[in-house]
Amino acid sequence: MSQIETQTTTGETEEQIRDEWLEYEFDGETALSVEDLDVFYGNDQALQSIDMDIPEKSVTALIGPSGCGKSTFLRCLNRMNDRIDAARVEGTVEFAGENIYDDDVNLVELRKRIGMVFQSPNPFPKSIRENISYGPRKHGDIDTGLVARLLGRDDRDEEEELVERCLRGAALWDEVHDRLDDNALGLSGGQQQRLCIARALAVGPDVLLMDEPASALDPIATSKIEDLVEDLAEEYTVVIVTHNMQQAARISDQTAVFLTGGELVEYGDTDQIFENPQSQRVEDYITGKFG
Amino acid sequence: MSESYGDERANIVAETSAVDQLAVIPATFGAIAFVVGWAIVFRWISVTDTLAGIEYATLLSIGHLLAAAVLCAVGIFSTTGIVDTEPDDSTGLFTALAFGAIAFIGVGLTASQTLGTGATVWFPTSLVAAVLVAGVVLGVPEDLGVTLPVAAFELVVGLVVLTDVIGPSWVWSPNGFSASFVGPIAIAAFAMVGSLLCVWAGTNASKGFGSRGRELGAYALISTYAVALLAILALLIIFVVQNGLNQVLKGAQLWPFKLPFVLNGYGLQYDVNGIFPAIVGTVWLVVGAVVFAVPLAVGAAVYLTEYADQGRFTRIVETATNGLWSTPSIVYGLFAFAFLLPRIQNDVTLLTGQLVLGFMLLPLVLITSREALQNVPDEYRDASAALGVTQWQTIRSVVLPAAIPGVLTGIILGIGRIAGETAPILLVLVREPFSASTPSVLGSFHFTATAPFITNDALLGPATALPYQLFAVITAGVGASQEFGWGTALVLLCVVMFFYAIGITTRIYFRKKLRQ
Ligand SMILES: Nc1ncnc2c1ncn2[C@@H]1O[C@H](COP(=O)(O)OP(=O)(O)OP(=O)(O)O)[C@@H](O)[C@H]1O
Ligand SMILES: [Mg+2]
Repeated sequence: MSQIETQTTTGETEEQIRDEWLEYEFDGETALSVEDLDVFYGNDQALQSIDMDIPEKSVTALIGPSGCGKSTFLRCLNRMNDRIDAARVEGTVEFAGENIYDDDVNLVELRKRIGMVFQSPNPFPKSIRENISYGPRKHGDIDTGLVARLLGRDDRDEEEELVERCLRGAALWDEVHDRLDDNALGLSGGQQQRLCIARALAVGPDVLLMDEPASALDPIATSKIEDLVEDLAEEYTVVIVTHNMQQAARISDQTAVFLTGGELVEYGDTDQIFENPQSQRVEDYITGKFG
Repeated sequence: MSESYGDERANIVAETSAVDQLAVIPATFGAIAFVVGWAIVFRWISVTDTLAGIEYATLLSIGHLLAAAVLCAVGIFSTTGIVDTEPDDSTGLFTALAFGAIAFIGVGLTASQTLGTGATVWFPTSLVAAVLVAGVVLGVPEDLGVTLPVAAFELVVGLVVLTDVIGPSWVWSPNGFSASFVGPIAIAAFAMVGSLLCVWAGTNASKGFGSRGRELGAYALISTYAVALLAILALLIIFVVQNGLNQVLKGAQLWPFKLPFVLNGYGLQYDVNGIFPAIVGTVWLVVGAVVFAVPLAVGAAVYLTEYADQGRFTRIVETATNGLWSTPSIVYGLFAFAFLLPRIQNDVTLLTGQLVLGFMLLPLVLITSREALQNVPDEYRDASAALGVTQWQTIRSVVLPAAIPGVLTGIILGIGRIAGETAPILLVLVREPFSASTPSVLGSFHFTATAPFITNDALLGPATALPYQLFAVITAGVGASQEFGWGTALVLLCVVMFFYAIGITTRIYFRKKLRQ
């Protein structure tokens, strides 16, 4: 929207957000289109009229200081905020030509198509195989139950094929292919996180939302996840929150900078944001003077 | 400079000194006295028995005096600097108060009972003594504050027993108190209290007081308590087994297998009367109660935790359930008698017994299931929701499986309680406590072509149960002999253990499934 009154945390400069900082021209289709999005937790406003178009089959990085609303924004994109009692969302998010905040939206379908990977790895206390086939099973796409087996409509082979495909997709197959029936909690943190990515891939999403997926991992596991994210962008639309500026610069095609107070200050091509930011505050943040 | 560096090193490396070795004596005496005390209480040995020609009472008193002497010596050596220790400046408020309390009790008892003085005298006297002792302990350095009070206690106790002031034949019947205390029990009590004090003071001193000493002292004291606790449990079981085993094995033989007490009914046709009907009755009561209560309780817990808004409503329900859990069982019995019985057959039935025990089981399983569900991390729920899985499917395939071990714990605890309950079934279950016939619940299902389609006479007939029989034999003195009662008690214990075993095995199975 047009010129928003803003306050900087330093209080020294009153910088106004300009429309052109948020204008980002890209070729190709729009996957998600966010318009005038406000989020409140009780009486506190966590996001201030965010407008943002996210191109498909690319990596979009969300960066900004702690508490500026990146996770909140991400959760808005597949309506995980519905699960927080205090949260109230206003505005629209358009996905596949529909506002996902319409009353008649089917949450099951929405979340099947917009998957999410959380900050800390959270595999289910089940086997690796079960973790991956969990979603498809619950959606009835795969049936290996007793009845199906008796009726001869057992989807074992599909399951095997799906597990392998998703684990390969998440670059985990080589490490775990010989112990698919072990409990997932026995994996290392980085492996668990890639398992969570594989689990999200298994329901066949178009969009993957990742909230600091590498924040709990060592450099090697982190670089595996980074490579993975870049590969995934060929097929999926990836939106990733990160605190790591180099990571954002390395893997993302475009970057959105949020600053304290829940405003989107600048959004554009990653190279441009990092090399030539237009907002003084963004430059301060990126160069480490602020935030 | 290098000198002091060397000193500091010496402190880091543990050193053995004379105190270490001396202080082991009271600690060892404490450990031995502890065991002997228990042995006396359980009448495995008598205080007048002899060991190497000396009565146990005398041996104990000599031990008390020895401990007193050694502790005294340790305290003095330490404070005069003959041996190296690191005591604090004061013994600490808690220890001082504890010794004050011991002084209060000791002086109070002596003054009121031996000297025959009234409350106006003994109360202020002992209060003054307590304050005095506490004050002194608080004021002196730790090495004296720990050793001397214990030494004083040991000295008094040792002298009292040695001089036969409180000997094996001593009897004390306090005024206005129908019970009387006898010498052996007093001597055992002295031994046990003294042993705790000695273990604590001895181990504390052996590390040279200070924080290292307190650390070991606390550890030794807590370990002794833990051993005492386990000993009580073990002795309880041993006691029941000792008394009941003969009866259970009466007429038993291995081949052809015979265990008449367990496998027979009670009646003229049996050469050895048995309790099989009661065993089966108890098993069916428990099974019925579990079948009735567990689905209801778990369902309610799921609703309260997963669906209901956390607020006043859930809090009220929670308070009410806690209240129900602490309701005396006889109240459940009355409820069953006044409410259930007239509505079911208007006569005593197995079903009524199952229902009332089910009611008792409900709150506990509800409370523990709720706790177990709340302990399932929200990350699982979020992860599942983010995959587009509905809430009910999430509960069924992620939340409940993760909560099963906790739920099982609740069921196990609950079964332990209801299997042994007499009061709730007192009025609603039994027609003849010593029954010849066994309720055959499984064999009594009949299918009919008209409603209600399925009937079961055994459920609607009377039954009997182990705790009820026990109550009848021991309290009311009806029917059978004392041994019969002890046998019943032992079998009841085994039945409860059997249920525990089932519960714990399933819990282990589910835990494993979640972990590996
Ligand atoms: N469940 C909640 N209830 C109330 N307030 C919340 C909740 N979650 C977040 N907030 C508030 O919303 C604001 C934005 O939080 P958010 O978690 O989106 O920040 P973030 O940018 O992800 O920070 P970080 O980088 O530390 O993860 C914060 O001020 C926070 O206190
Ligand atoms: Mg966050």
